[in-house]
Parts: sequence; C-alpha cells; structure tokens
Amino acid sequence: MKLLVCVSKTPDTTAKISFNADHTEFNEAGITFIMNPYDEWYALVRAMELKEATGGTVTLINVGPASNDAVIRKGLAIGADDAVRIDCNPTSSLYVAKQIAEYAKEQNYDMVFCGKETIDYNGSEVGGMVADMLAMPFISYASEMEMNGNTATIKRDIEGGKETIEVDTPFVLSAAKGLAEQRIPNMRGIMQARRKPINVVSPVDFEDVSSVVSYELPPAKAACKMVDPENMEELVRLLHEEAKII
Amino acid sequence: MSKYMSMDTLKFLLNEVHNMEELFEYERFQEFDKEAVDILLDSAKDMADKKFYPFVRDMDEQPAVFKDGRIIAHESLEDMIKGYADLGLIGGVFDFEHGGMQMPGTVLSACNHIFESANNHSLGYMGLTTGSANLIATFANQALKDTYVPKMISGEWTGTMCLTEPQAGSSLSDVVTSATPTDEEGVYEIKGQKIFISGGDHQFTDNIIHLVLARIDGAPAGTKGISLFVVPNNMPQADGSFVDNDVQVAGEFQKLGQKGYATAHMVFGENGGCKGHLVGEANNGLRYMFKMMNEARIEVGITATSIATAAYYASLQYANERPQGRRIESTGKKNSNAEQTLIINHADVRRMLLLQKAVVEASMSIIIESSMQADKHMATAHDPEQSAKHHMLLEFLTPITKTYPSEMGQVSISNGLQILGGYGFCTDFVLQQYYRDIRICSIYEGTTGIQSIDLLGRKVTMKNGKALQLLMAEVQETVQAAMTYDELKPYANKLMDKLGLTQKVLGKLMGFAMEGNYERYLMDATAFMQFASTIVIGWQWLKMAVAAKQALVSGKMTYSEEFYESKVHTMKFYFKYEMPKTTGLAEILMDDEVLTIKEEKQLAF
Repeated sequence: MKLLVCVSKTPDTTAKISFNADHTEFNEAGITFIMNPYDEWYALVRAMELKEATGGTVTLINVGPASNDAVIRKGLAIGADDAVRIDCNPTSSLYVAKQIAEYAKEQNYDMVFCGKETIDYNGSEVGGMVADMLAMPFISYASEMEMNGNTATIKRDIEGGKETIEVDTPFVLSAAKGLAEQRIPNMRGIMQARRKPINVVSPVDFEDVSSVVSYELPPAKAACKMVDPENMEELVRLLHEEAKII
Repeated sequence: MSKYMSMDTLKFLLNEVHNMEELFEYERFQEFDKEAVDILLDSAKDMADKKFYPFVRDMDEQPAVFKDGRIIAHESLEDMIKGYADLGLIGGVFDFEHGGMQMPGTVLSACNHIFESANNHSLGYMGLTTGSANLIATFANQALKDTYVPKMISGEWTGTMCLTEPQAGSSLSDVVTSATPTDEEGVYEIKGQKIFISGGDHQFTDNIIHLVLARIDGAPAGTKGISLFVVPNNMPQADGSFVDNDVQVAGEFQKLGQKGYATAHMVFGENGGCKGHLVGEANNGLRYMFKMMNEARIEVGITATSIATAAYYASLQYANERPQGRRIESTGKKNSNAEQTLIINHADVRRMLLLQKAVVEASMSIIIESSMQADKHMATAHDPEQSAKHHMLLEFLTPITKTYPSEMGQVSISNGLQILGGYGFCTDFVLQQYYRDIRICSIYEGTTGIQSIDLLGRKVTMKNGKALQLLMAEVQETVQAAMTYDELKPYANKLMDKLGLTQKVLGKLMGFAMEGNYERYLMDATAFMQFASTIVIGWQWLKMAVAAKQALVSGKMTYSEEFYESKVHTMKFYFKYEMPKTTGLAEILMDDEVLTIKEEKQLAF
C-alpha cells in the first residue's frame, strides 16, 4: 500500500501564546514546536501499522518552511520511509490543502491520513478539502480502522455512540484518539531518520480567498478562591453571586 | 501532571552554555547532530511522563520487599526497564562493535536527568546495567562479551556492581570474598557476602549479572590483590540452557528513602556452587571497577540534581497556588482587608525558591561540563595531549560533580519543604519524600568525606597541580567572556578574587603536605570541598549568565526574554547569597588550631 500522511508543526502544548502588535500574526519567538499530536500519535502510527501488516510505503507531507524539517525528522524517526515538504509559508487551510492535493494527485496513494485537527488553529478542514480536490471519499474523526483487502471498516465517535463505515481505497481519513497508540521514537530510528530523504518541492501558485483580520486570547483565568469546607453558605453565595452558575 | 523538570533549561545548558554541538565534530560522534539529540530528549521526556513519573510516589509507599528468598520490586518497574531499553539507552554510549550507537555520554546524562527527575527509585536498575555491561565490553574476553553484553543492552538481563562487604565499605582493601581457581581456565569458585547491592534482585528479568570484586587465593593483600568477576544468577551453558549459580539473596535493606530501589544482601557460593568468570587480568579488578565507579559518581550527581529539581518544581507550584498573608505596604503596615497574596510574593519565599533554582540549575550545568570532558577525552584518544587535558579536568571535577548536588541538593530540598510550611512535613505532599530520597546521594559511591579527600589529596596535587591549573584557565576564559558585558563585570571580578583566595588557601595547606604532615593537610578536606565547589558552581553560573546575555544582546533567543533574564538574575543571587560563604570557609581552612585529629589524650565525646 502506498500511504501519505499529512503532518503539521504546532506549538508545544505548554507554550505561552502571544500575537504581534496588531494581533494579525502569531508570535513564534521563544516557542517550542512539536508535531501535531493527532497527526503523530494516531494518523502516522496507524499508517505505520498498516505498512507493517501489509507492506508498502509511508510518505510524510508537510506544507511549510525549512524550519519545519525538525518536526518532519521526528516522523521519519517513528518509521516513515521518506518525506515531502512543500516549501512555502502557508496562509490558510485551503492553501495547505491545495498544495497537498496538487502533489498527491500524480502519486496514486491508496490512503491519505491526517489528524482530525491541529491543536493550534483547530480548523479540521484540510482533510476534507484534500479529499474533495482529489475526488476521494473523506472519513473524518476515525477512532478505529480495520482493513480487509482494499476495503476499510472504520468506526467514528458520534454523539452518544459510534458509527461504522465501510469504504474502498483510495480515500482520505482524519484520525482521532483511539485509532492507534503513540509510539516513542527510539535511538536507532532517530539515527536512521538522518539518512531518509526530505524532498523539497516548490508550491503551486494559489491565490488565497480569505485573510486573517485579527487574533485574540481568551480572558485570563480568574484567581482561585479558597473556601473553608465548613462554610457552605459562603460557597453557595459565591457560586450564586460571583460565578452566577446557580 | 505536575512539572518535574525543565526541558528548556536542559536544552539551554546543552546547546547555548556548553555548545554540545562541538562534540559532533569528533569522528566518534559524527553520527549525531542537534536535531537527533532533540528528538531523543523529547522521546525520553515522553517516556518519563508516561512510564516513570506516575509511579514515583507509589514506589515510596510500596517499597521493594524481601519475600521467599527474592526481592519483589514495584510492578511498574518491568515497563520502565523495557521502555528504557527499547529507547536504546542502556547500550547507547557503547562502541558500534559492541552493539552501541557511540552516543555522547553527555546526551545520556541529559536523558538520565529527565528520568531521574521523573522517578529516582527506578533508573539505578538500568544505570547499573549500562555500567556493568560497559565493564564487560571494555575489559572482558570476546566470549564473555558475546554471552552477556547483547542481552544486557536489550534489557533482557540487568546488572549490578558488588563491592561492599560487612567489614569493607569505604575501605575496599579489606575485601575478603574469595575466588578459587577451577579446572576450567578463567572460571573461579566464588564465596563471600556483599551488602548494599543496589538492584541486586528483582522479579522482572530472567538473569541478573553481578560484577563482583573478590580476592584470588594467594593474591597480595590490599587493593593490589583484588580481581573482578562476572557472576550471573543463572550460568549460561554451551547448549543454551542455564544452571542455577548459587547466588542467594539474604535480605533487603529497608531504607529512609529510595525505597523502590532494591538494596540487597547477597550471598555467593553458600552451597559451594557459585562460579565466576575472571574479567581481564587477575589483581586488576579495582582499576577496572573504578572506570565504572567514576561514571557512577557522576550518575549520583545526576540523581541528586534530579531529585532536587523535582522538589524545586513541586515547591514552586505550591508557592504559586498558596495564598497566605499580605505584602507590607509603603506605610509599613499590612492591609487586612486586602485579599491574601500568593506566598511566592513574599521575599523570604522568593529567597528560598531562588536558592533552589541556583543549586539545581548549576548542578546540572556542572554535570554537563564533566560529561563533555569525558566525551572529549574519549573522542581525542588519537591525540594524547588533548585527551590527557580533558581527562585531568574530568578527574578534578568528578568529586565536585558528585558532592555539590548531593550536599547542596539536601539544603535545596529542605528550603523547598520549608516553603510548604506544615504541609511540607506531611505525607500528603511529595517534598518529604524527596527530602528522604536524596539523603543517600552523599553516602553511596564514595561518601562526601571520601570525595573530599580525593579532591584535596589526589586531584589538587595530581601531576604537580596541572589539573587545577587547567581548571583555572577554563574559569579565566569565562571571566574574559563576562568582562565584555558591563552588567556581568562585577561578578567576573568577584570570581577572579576567589581564584586568588584559592591560591592563598592552598598555599597554606600545601605547607603541611610538604612537611609530610598529611593528616593535617587533609584534616579539613570536607571544608575544602565546600570551598572549592562553591567557587566552581559560581563559575558555572557566570558561564550561564554569559550565554544568556549573548542571547539577550544579539536578539537570537530560542526561549523567552524572561527565561534569559532569570538566568542572569539567579547568577546575581548566587554571587550575593552563596559565594560569600567561601570567605568563612577560607578562614576555617587557614586557621592553625587543630581540634579534630586524634591525640594520645582521650577526648570525652
């Protein structure tokens, strides 16, 4: 099987987020970046499991500048065979999807994996857009997946239960928790990753149709108030008058 | 999950303070680069978060116990050994030909800091396996290497080192465990008892390989008659089967701290059926073992640093969450109607937190300094002059790298416990555990007293003081760099003054050594250790401040501005609150009064 896994670079979950002066750009200074956990833990690992079970190749694809190579290397250390980086500074989900689809359309992938969302912009858009551009079915939020020949049986978490879907390859899938179990790259994999190729490809021309007006941070968390466990009246008063939840 | 260490500080130390990347220019380490090390460190942190940290309190509350002739360790240990081995860390530093990856020891030190901070009760099992497998790989014959090293690297078997006996602790020349030649060449019958054997037994591997110091029948007395043997619990046979090797566990020592880390009383050959393979040449055992021992001493420094680091973050979290009291206003009074302030806003709490930060971050810095010297020593083996230089620096720094974190880590955790007030004394909070866990670090692998005698008695005088001269040159290089920043100049000058004071103190002490009065020379070796290590740690802080200033001035910042400013601020704290202690210590060291040397006349204690 020929598998493509879309991977993004996101700020570490503990990073302090800030924006530039006019709040139109994310401030990257002093930020540690990681591979988007949904891409790494679920999409990539499930693709690796399929490769290990049935043979084939796993290729990573990333849309971004050279500074993303460190994150791509981690994916190679987990076991992907090679990687492609579309060399640009993406401006929107649509831009990213367009670049991935343009690359993938000539490559005849059996499956395209991505995480259900990135943990920074939370768009959940790229997978669906790529599927549309490649004219493939799109299964979102997959939490279980089994293959039988060219047919995949996929379970998705839905409100109050699960939905089971069957789909033939080729298709695009967005991965949610449960699809696989995180793999921690070991030293041998990390050293082998140094010799695996990252093919740098120029982006196709694409005029974006939307632009960011501004970003804002959520309000700061209020200070914690400690209430004496014996003083239930005070707790009720605070919940009623200040928190206004009762 | 609570924070137990800082990846940012660790990477800052590796990359910006100590320029780890220069190691990758050596042929030995050329397979590595910064990116690979970053991924490996992140892997270590991921694993520590998932497999190690969740069990640190459990391992204290459910200690390793002796039951039916075996030691039963905490159930989580199995997964930790497997995870650490799967990462490739047990044999990572070994040569390619021995199944290793020729990883710099500096990287292993950094990884182990992550694991030890997460859980100091478990890493010793793996650390001793690395050390004992390395001894076999370095000094044993090919057959022993082939039999033992691969299975130890894979974590299928673990290893220990067996030195101490009931009558021979710090004084290893008194070891009496015997080794009697058998008909088979290189195989001896081993008989004797060893105590305080860390990781001596557990239920999670099929075999445990003990590196045992013993005396071959008829060998010379003292350290020159000690040999080293590989003694497995189960002796592998040519047909692939195993024979019980008469290695018994007589008990498990119940301890103040590190309760999850089994400490065994081992009995070899009680029934006359224990065999051991001689490693290398007869009567060279202590020399071989000290290769492992020196590495183990740095490892103890890592353990102490890491426990104190975890304690620092636990007390910092508490100080950021606990409201108590109010700040004094400009009127000199407190406004009782105002809301309580968080305790981190009180000056005395900040002082204790800054002391902790100053101790733990500089402790990690000196560990990386020593580890880099060890790596450079190994990587420059083709250039005897360079290699000897790095070896001398390593030799000088090793007792300090073991002792400063072990001793000052205790002080640091005590301050952290104090921040929690009464809660610090309660088992509801982890500080009391860390306070107990760290106590062993100034005892095992050579007590503080032994390290101090080693520093003053051997390292200061080594090659006519050459090691000390090399160290002073390194310090002066940092001073020069600091002098380019106005903000750092006063501290650079203070450090230079302390170098002058060091020469004055040694000038006085050397007089006793020249007279042959060695007992007087070494009388206050521990005070000298405190004196010298306080200055060496000041050097490390100045080095960190220089790296931070470089980032702030150039604007090339990997981390936030506050991160770098906090390094400069903590350096200033160290020079104000810790460095002056050297003046008092110098007074003790140069005082002519003799009160501790035993005299003919009995002293009534």
